[in-house]
Amino acid sequence: MRIVPQLDRQPRLIELVQKPAGKIAISLAFAYLLRLNGESLYIELATIAAALSFFPRHRRILLTGATLYWLLVHPNLIRRSLIHSVAAAEGFTEGWGLVLLTAATMCAVLGALGWLLDFVGRRPNHLVGKRPVLAMVASFLCLLIAAGTLQLHGVPRVVVWTLLTLVGPYLWFFAYALGDYTSRAHDPYKLQVGTFFPFWVGSSSSSTPIGKGAAYLRTVEAHTPKDLAVVQLKAIKLLLWLLCLRLALTLFYAIVYGGVFPAAEAFFRAHGVPLLNLPTLAAALDQTAAGNSPRLPLAWAAVVAHFIVALIGVPIAGNMVVACTRMAGFNILRNTYKPLYATTVAEFWNRFYFYFKELLVEFFFFPTYVRYFKRHRRLRLAAATFAAATLGNLVYHFCRDSEYVYDMGFWPALAGLQVYAFYALVLGGAIAVSQLRGKRAPETLPLHRRVLSSAGVIGFYCLLEIFDYEGRGHSLRTHLAFFVHLFALPH
Amino acid sequence: MNDRLIVRSLLRGLLNQTGDHDDFADGDSLVMSGRLDSVDTLDLVVFLEEKYGIDFAERGFEKNDLDSVDSIMSLIGTTQGPSK
Repeated sequence: MRIVPQLDRQPRLIELVQKPAGKIAISLAFAYLLRLNGESLYIELATIAAALSFFPRHRRILLTGATLYWLLVHPNLIRRSLIHSVAAAEGFTEGWGLVLLTAATMCAVLGALGWLLDFVGRRPNHLVGKRPVLAMVASFLCLLIAAGTLQLHGVPRVVVWTLLTLVGPYLWFFAYALGDYTSRAHDPYKLQVGTFFPFWVGSSSSSTPIGKGAAYLRTVEAHTPKDLAVVQLKAIKLLLWLLCLRLALTLFYAIVYGGVFPAAEAFFRAHGVPLLNLPTLAAALDQTAAGNSPRLPLAWAAVVAHFIVALIGVPIAGNMVVACTRMAGFNILRNTYKPLYATTVAEFWNRFYFYFKELLVEFFFFPTYVRYFKRHRRLRLAAATFAAATLGNLVYHFCRDSEYVYDMGFWPALAGLQVYAFYALVLGGAIAVSQLRGKRAPETLPLHRRVLSSAGVIGFYCLLEIFDYEGRGHSLRTHLAFFVHLFALPH
Repeated sequence: MNDRLIVRSLLRGLLNQTGDHDDFADGDSLVMSGRLDSVDTLDLVVFLEEKYGIDFAERGFEKNDLDSVDSIMSLIGTTQGPSK
């Protein structure tokens, strides 16, 4: 039984959505569903999507306009508080001067990228032309190290941190553009700009490029009115599914944690449903850090509840962006797709964080795979997997969270990443073993064996979540102590 | 068996491993469309390296080149001359 009807397979509906009245109707439905899904910028998102569906021939250039509008009006990706902190620390008052400096730096960044893209296109055999993404990420890391270790003061310090704050979140959007420029048929710069944190991210601020870059968008763009109608109906269908997940998450929060949705809690109390008031995983880890680990059943409940929240919450966040991208006429794959069906560790990772995995595969896995250990097939696969799931994962998070370097200094910020480094190491090892053992469970495998495989994978990721900690407040020792406590072992 | 049939057979095997038994045309997108994921293409990379001596480190790696039978044949053609 389907919870959400197959709207995209109804011929009459597909016909209707191709007409002007149908386009208006689906745009209104899109806006309403976005609002129900908690998207505050639903009017702007629906208006832009409607404009794109009325002028599909100009979709890509309109996308560039919409992206620039989003940068000016909703720069969610840019951590302005960090720029303000640096400026205040260096004695600059907030005002037009700081706004102009930020705007000028952003223009300089986009200009420098344009020059780099042109250089990569003209000089493919130059060292930078051959490995443009490596050159860009290495340059960013060098600047971050300099900013975190050198004693900069005054204007230079403000400029360097403004630059890092602006470039950091865009790094992988730029990487996809550089990757496209190394190919023979790439989009011009004016269309690449449209893919840098496009309007379809809405009010979110994830720096993972969902929808990747221009190369991928070209292959999934709707080229006929019928294709556009189908992909827009898929967007509506996805939003309806996300609404169901959101409802499930709300009920789960109300019953398990409490204190977030008073109306739902009042409803449950009135109907005699027991509210559990479990500690969150973060609270359980705080207690462990204070030397007061929660009781064993509570500790396990906190771990399982945290994983269930991730299983519901991650699809909601990522697939909201996917729905908006589809509404704009790009039939991209979902970010999360039936993760519980995975029968191997590698398959779960692919199904759960598709676009983050694709980023790591594109910029870390394949560059390693095609260059190193080519005569040793298993070593080659393992090295490429570690390069992506461990090294790439760490580089991504360290570049993204540059404010830790500002707050703590370079070396403490790096050392503070120890919990996540452990997570990435175990993840890389598990995915490597999973890939070396073979691919998915064959379809001929009996149902009970498939269920057992899935349960093993889910159990692994549930426990691994204990170490999926990107902050700098806890040490690895705390997380290990909590893990050991779960198995009632002395620590 | 000519090159095109060998490539088709390899892709058919990769799709079967994912549980996808639908037919595909030579021009159909298999990687970008999501029918094969990036890591599924590893067998294809090794096959092209070993059988045709294609060095992806030298020529650059583009997933588009492995997206369909036609694009793979075109890739083979650019390194080996006209395909059979």
